[in-house]
Amino acid sequence: MKKYTIIFLLIYALQLQAQSRADGITFLNRTEFKVGYYGNVFSENGLNLGIEYLWKEKEKVKEKKRGQKIITHQLLFNGSLGYATNFTNKTDNGLYTHYGLIWRRTSPKRWQLNLELNPLGYYRSFLPETFEVKGDEVSKVKFPGRSYYAPSVGFGIGRLRKGKRRSGWYLNLNYALRTPYNAGTLDILSIQYGHRFNFKKK
Amino acid sequence: MERIVKSKIKIVAIILLVFTVFSCAKEDVNINSLDETIFVRHKKADMPAYIHGNGSDKVFLIILHGGPGGSGLQYRSNTIRTEIEKNNAVVYFDQRGHNNAQGNYSEKEVSVDIMAEDIIALGRVIKAKFGDDSKLFLMGHSWGGTLGTATLLKNQSIFSGWIDVAGVHSPKGLYDAYKITLNTVANEQIALGNSVDYWRNTLDLVQNIEPTNTLESFGKLNTASHEGEAKLEEDKVINDFKADYGDDVPSDHLPKVRWNSNKIQDILMKKQGLFQNVSYTNQLSKITLPSIVLWGKYDLVVPTTFAYEAFDNFGSNDKQFFIFEKSAHSPMSTEPKLFSEKVIEFINSH
Repeated sequence: MKKYTIIFLLIYALQLQAQSRADGITFLNRTEFKVGYYGNVFSENGLNLGIEYLWKEKEKVKEKKRGQKIITHQLLFNGSLGYATNFTNKTDNGLYTHYGLIWRRTSPKRWQLNLELNPLGYYRSFLPETFEVKGDEVSKVKFPGRSYYAPSVGFGIGRLRKGKRRSGWYLNLNYALRTPYNAGTLDILSIQYGHRFNFKKK
Repeated sequence: MERIVKSKIKIVAIILLVFTVFSCAKEDVNINSLDETIFVRHKKADMPAYIHGNGSDKVFLIILHGGPGGSGLQYRSNTIRTEIEKNNAVVYFDQRGHNNAQGNYSEKEVSVDIMAEDIIALGRVIKAKFGDDSKLFLMGHSWGGTLGTATLLKNQSIFSGWIDVAGVHSPKGLYDAYKITLNTVANEQIALGNSVDYWRNTLDLVQNIEPTNTLESFGKLNTASHEGEAKLEEDKVINDFKADYGDDVPSDHLPKVRWNSNKIQDILMKKQGLFQNVSYTNQLSKITLPSIVLWGKYDLVVPTTFAYEAFDNFGSNDKQFFIFEKSAHSPMSTEPKLFSEKVIEFINSH
């Protein structure tokens, strides 16, 4: 399962890049990067790095008395990579990566609403010194930890800074699963707060 | 443009490197003051053992937490932390499916039997890490007493002593014991004029409870027992419950801990009928290790009949018995000083 998930994620990432070339539009002009906090403040805190690639965009123009109102709807490919730890008892260190789609609505006043669906996700826990016991034999485990399939959904707000390198902030509530985890599926609620930036040609 | 990209990549790389270094940094082991978290991998589960205290004599007290649904570090308080850890090392262990333990296994791979094998695996790991001459003492509290008994019945040769603290060696026997004890204590408290209305309600509950031990009826009596102990504390029959963690308050991921707790209870209690089917009373005579039985006089959660039954049936020639007069189910939290004295005395004399 672990092997297939990694292969699938790699193919997905390559496909994402290939699409941008086919469109004839530079990758960077349709891409934003993001960096931010990921965790639940109390017991798990970490750093999240991500990339968003604009797939589809639709502008709705509404004629109002005070002029035009433009509402933008976007569909973006999303990929993120992060690391979180609880810093204390060394039991909650882990690397995660999520891939999926973001639906984003930007209001005329630049407020944004984000809805994130990441069906592809992977979590790898990192454990401290670990010993494996098989019968009477005890051996030390190299690179101890476990892998979990970890899809996620997110919902949040943000604000766009038009025409700036640092193009806005976001605050999302993220709900992720880890499975199979202790004979079931563990759900994890966390927040993501961060900033987006781009390298678009002006 | 290129420069900006490169500088950003550098920043990101540095941040990732810092995280990696923090997560992988190897700490020096100070045997006189151990502060280690290691994991035991056994039968598809990774279970943390938090080792603290003085390991200079290579004496380790392994504490099996209560529950099902408890956690290892919840016992790292009061005099276990301040006194017992000075005398010897203490191993606080999160059992399979509990607290910070993780793994990829099915529900079929969770049972008292497999969990007992996990404890033996933990013993082997401590001996592998700290030396084969390490001495291991096993302490089980409440449900930890079920697990401890199951462990010793599988293999007691790697342990030097058994400390039975309000341990449930017969989960299925609890139901009938609840009825007798709640009845007795309720009548005593009514005669003393303590919380009379409350104890009359308890008598009503015991009188009207269905005779069959089902998950639901067991739950009612178990809840009444916990509430009864709180009432005894309120009426100063027992000492106040203390949990002093010093600067080391466990900072676990609470939703995860709660999820684990519900899951393991669902498997062991609901699906496997732990409190309806499991009993080791008939096998207690096979336990021949030096043992000490420690119980609170007013224990309603695991009544003192279990203490007498354990002591009378242990097959050991070297066994001790002590009742804490001002305690209920958790003497380590209500008479902590006396509790640590008894534990240290037992460990040092073996």
